[in-house]
Amino acid sequence: MTIEKPPKKPLEERIYNYIMNGRVVKSIIRSGYPNTPRNQMLMVATNVFLHLHPTRINRTHVKITHTFCLGGLSFFMFLGLTITGVLLMFYYVPSVERAYEDMQIIQSEVRFGFLMRNLHRWMAHSMVLLVFMHMMRVFYTGSYKPPREFNWVVGVLLLVLTLLLSFTGYLLPWDELAFWAITVGTQMVGSAPLFGEANRFILIGGYEVGANALIRFYTLHVIGLPLITTVFMAVHFWRIRRDGGLARPL
Amino acid sequence: MVSDSESIEQSYSKAVQDRKTRKREEELLVWPDLVFIEFISALLFMLTLTILSILINAPLQDRANPAHTPNPSKAPWYFLNLQELLLHMHPAIAGVLVPTIAVGALMAIPYIDNTHEGEGAWWASKRAKINAKVGGFVGFFGTLFLILFNESKHVWLFEKITTLEWPSALNWLRNTRAMQTDLPWPEALKNIPVGEKILKTELLGLPPSNLVLDIPKIFIEQIVPMTTMIGLPILLAVIAAKTKIAQTKRDHAILIFSAFMATWLMLTISGTALRGAGMELMWPWDVKPPVT
Ligand code: HEM
Repeated sequence: MTIEKPPKKPLEERIYNYIMNGRVVKSIIRSGYPNTPRNQMLMVATNVFLHLHPTRINRTHVKITHTFCLGGLSFFMFLGLTITGVLLMFYYVPSVERAYEDMQIIQSEVRFGFLMRNLHRWMAHSMVLLVFMHMMRVFYTGSYKPPREFNWVVGVLLLVLTLLLSFTGYLLPWDELAFWAITVGTQMVGSAPLFGEANRFILIGGYEVGANALIRFYTLHVIGLPLITTVFMAVHFWRIRRDGGLARPL
Repeated sequence: MVSDSESIEQSYSKAVQDRKTRKREEELLVWPDLVFIEFISALLFMLTLTILSILINAPLQDRANPAHTPNPSKAPWYFLNLQELLLHMHPAIAGVLVPTIAVGALMAIPYIDNTHEGEGAWWASKRAKINAKVGGFVGFFGTLFLILFNESKHVWLFEKITTLEWPSALNWLRNTRAMQTDLPWPEALKNIPVGEKILKTELLGLPPSNLVLDIPKIFIEQIVPMTTMIGLPILLAVIAAKTKIAQTKRDHAILIFSAFMATWLMLTISGTALRGAGMELMWPWDVKPPVT
């Protein structure tokens, strides 16, 4: 009795399978390349980057006009800012003597330095805009209603943190624009009837914007505020899932 | 058994029922449907920003020089709304009180409008659009109107049209500053030595207080702006309620939020594009980069 062998699959399919379900790919993506619904769900559920998502999602929420991707894009800007920011840190020294010259060097001599700096700047502006627009989309879709009240509050904190991140970064080029913008901005803090001057003193480390202010803003900008923001973002994303995904009509 | 589970089924609230009968067809897989959209939008953004960054350099002016004050000195654009406010009232109100209250009020929205009306879809409640339009319109143009008034543009318009001079009896109506200087305030009100006459801190062994109250100044810098900023939104809400434009909590939330966002936008536009040297009001094309 002869056992019939199954017919051989065409070559391209074998190559595809060899690569996509081979040992290397499987070592990276445990469920293999996600080409069946089962594997696609496994992929989303088990991948560290994708597991922020649910595996299935309501049809209306996939429509681009529901969220306009605004929250996701805000997060994307945050990631992009982290990457370009780290690259900028290679060249930038936050001292009154060097900050401005370092900026000029980044802009004109460092290979792709201008691109990193420009990207960092335009992404920062975009992020402020995107977060504002995200807030408006959440508001006008009535997505802050119970049980999402607290996530809205976390969102407002993220908005404030975004503004502070942008503001602390503004001083770092140490050019006229930076210096006077921070001078004017912190004067507003100083005008508070209670502890205004004291708060301003703590913020800029003196009575005038100078070396102390630069190092304080730098530290807040590159580590303090990003850490806090990361924590709040984690809470924000976690709560979206815990609150039952995106809001929808009852 | 069967009847048991049925009765349990029926005791679920409507929301849970809806969830249970939710059809599978209503759901899509995140991979590929959502991940694809996210990927494409991220790619488009990255591409646009890269092109922008190749074409336009981030600004880098001269090295900071504390001895040179540029005119005007402006905060970053997202704080220019506050800087615009600063021109019209006491700095503590514009720079500290307003932003603190604004952030607090934003956080309070879900606790005030805690109904489920209009949840989960764009413009889902009945009067959502009309309230957004009314609030946005009133906020935007109301703020513009107030800025123009405080810059005496009504005087300019009057003189332009009638070719007459603004009547001097109405000088106090030029702007809020003029209300302080041109109204017949009793002299005594401008100089109330509260510290010396009433507080008498030296009796307690503290340093003598030299607090002097200037009532007209307080009136113009604090009472008028606070009344405006609290009173006008309340007035708007009352009118909207009376005319049945806003009937529910959600309606009012949309109305006031839209008015607030539009006000914020107008203040930002004015602070950014309409303020030149000396923070004077001017046409956007007359606003030059700061001179040092
Ligand atoms: C750095 C800032 C922020 C990031 C990265 C962020 C990110 C996100 C993301 C990715 C979502 C999923 C849905 C979507 O994309 O729209 C979301 C939803 C949400 N966000 Fe944000 N967000 C930020 C700021 C805010 C702000 C300022 C608010 C409100 C004041 C807010 C309130 C909410 C709420 C209530 C939801 C749930 C929406 C729903 O159920 O439909 N977030 N956020």
